[in-house]
Amino acid sequence: MADPRKPRPAFAPWDRREIPGLFDVDESARRVGIYKWIEMRLFETLGGWVATVPELDVKLVLGRHCYHHAWHAELWDKRLPELREMNTTRLTVPANDAMNEFMESIREPEAPELTIEKLVGVYRVLIPRKIAAYTYHLNATSRITDAPTQRSLGFILQDEHDDWTEGEMLLQSLIETEDEVDRASRRQVALEKIVLRAGGITGPGTLGDAPDSSGAQVEGATV
Amino acid sequence: MKKNLPPSELARDSRFVRSTIMDAIMDPRNQALAERDLGSAKLQPGRPAAADRARNLMHGIFTGEIQALEGAGRTTFDFDDDEAPFALKLDMARQCWDESRHVEISVKLGEWMGTEIGEYNEATFLYEAACATDPILRLCGVNRALEGLAIDVFNTMREFGDISGDPVLEFCEDWMLADEVTHVKMGSDWLRRLTENDPERRERALEFQRGVDKLFSLGGFRGETDENPIQLARKLRAMAGFSTDEIDEISEISVQAQEDARAMSAGASAPS
Repeated sequence: MADPRKPRPAFAPWDRREIPGLFDVDESARRVGIYKWIEMRLFETLGGWVATVPELDVKLVLGRHCYHHAWHAELWDKRLPELREMNTTRLTVPANDAMNEFMESIREPEAPELTIEKLVGVYRVLIPRKIAAYTYHLNATSRITDAPTQRSLGFILQDEHDDWTEGEMLLQSLIETEDEVDRASRRQVALEKIVLRAGGITGPGTLGDAPDSSGAQVEGATV
Repeated sequence: MKKNLPPSELARDSRFVRSTIMDAIMDPRNQALAERDLGSAKLQPGRPAAADRARNLMHGIFTGEIQALEGAGRTTFDFDDDEAPFALKLDMARQCWDESRHVEISVKLGEWMGTEIGEYNEATFLYEAACATDPILRLCGVNRALEGLAIDVFNTMREFGDISGDPVLEFCEDWMLADEVTHVKMGSDWLRRLTENDPERRERALEFQRGVDKLFSLGGFRGETDENPIQLARKLRAMAGFSTDEIDEISEISVQAQEDARAMSAGASAPS
């Protein structure tokens, strides 16, 4: 048996985590507050829609997904005080006015014949955008200092991928005519234009800054 | 999307047929049915109509679960952040998932019992209890009254599954019963928390609950005698936060509802 008193390194040879990350505490908190706001608006919307969709399978999926996003909001609500934000409502805000307009547009359809429009907004525009923003955060933040955020992101991304798949499959089964393809496309284009104006779901820099024309990479909000 | 969706706008596919609770209570055939002496009204496997009554009840549970899902969902949406606490909305979202599962269980169980979606009609009085504009009234009407009735119904159905030798029915009802106790406790906890310093609001909420409890007693559907198909589940209600006095009160309300229904039915069938 190995000598239990023999000094060992704090990091095993296969543990390649490093300290540097692109976000400081304030930037991580700002993003987490925005995530919480989005998850809240989303679970409320899905909950509200349950009574307005006649398709029984869609109704049940919306009820299940409603809870998924509520749980995400709860995780972000618990993370905020750990990021020095004791007043958790202060940062629970949209990134900007365009993002507020985007979420208002997402939740706008109400009539029972608008299930395609409802699902396109959530499963073809918002959730893909969330997956992109969450994945960027997961890859960009410090794997050591911001590990609690990363752990939540891992659980949440699993849900988002599963829900995205389920929502897309529902949509494909609902879209039966060329006219319905057009409806879905029009809805997606209209919403994409608003979120483009917002600069992404956490505002400009949602996925970091784009490479400049000189080819030099300018990354993240804070180093 | 507007706040406070009226019951008439609940979205359904073509299989569903809607009726009102008054259609059932005022049915002139009720008087003739009431005059028949068939003994106990409890669900008993030996009765010739037991299987059909159980299927009918199962379909009622199915439509009730859809409306409970819709009611919880609307509560996450209808109130702004300053009207309903964040934690309350999280509870309602959790309830959405639970009710969604209950609908799934009910569909499977209905098929198992030999019925199908739309075989019986749907009354929307369960959702109507979820239309109050004060969230705590909604919680009292839905979580304490409606989900309380669900405890009574599921416990009765679980016992029916046990004595009739149907392990699938017993298994499913047992699981749903666990969720319902959680939902009723949720309602009891929020009633206490939100009205801690507002006794008038608490009394309004409890008064609303009494009204819903009377409606949910459905003219003798639920009670503690052999005349009541659904039996009041005292022990499980106590687990969910009801005091003995509150359970006694529901029992009295049930008796009153049964007497009211008899009087209304007699009036409806009297020659004019």
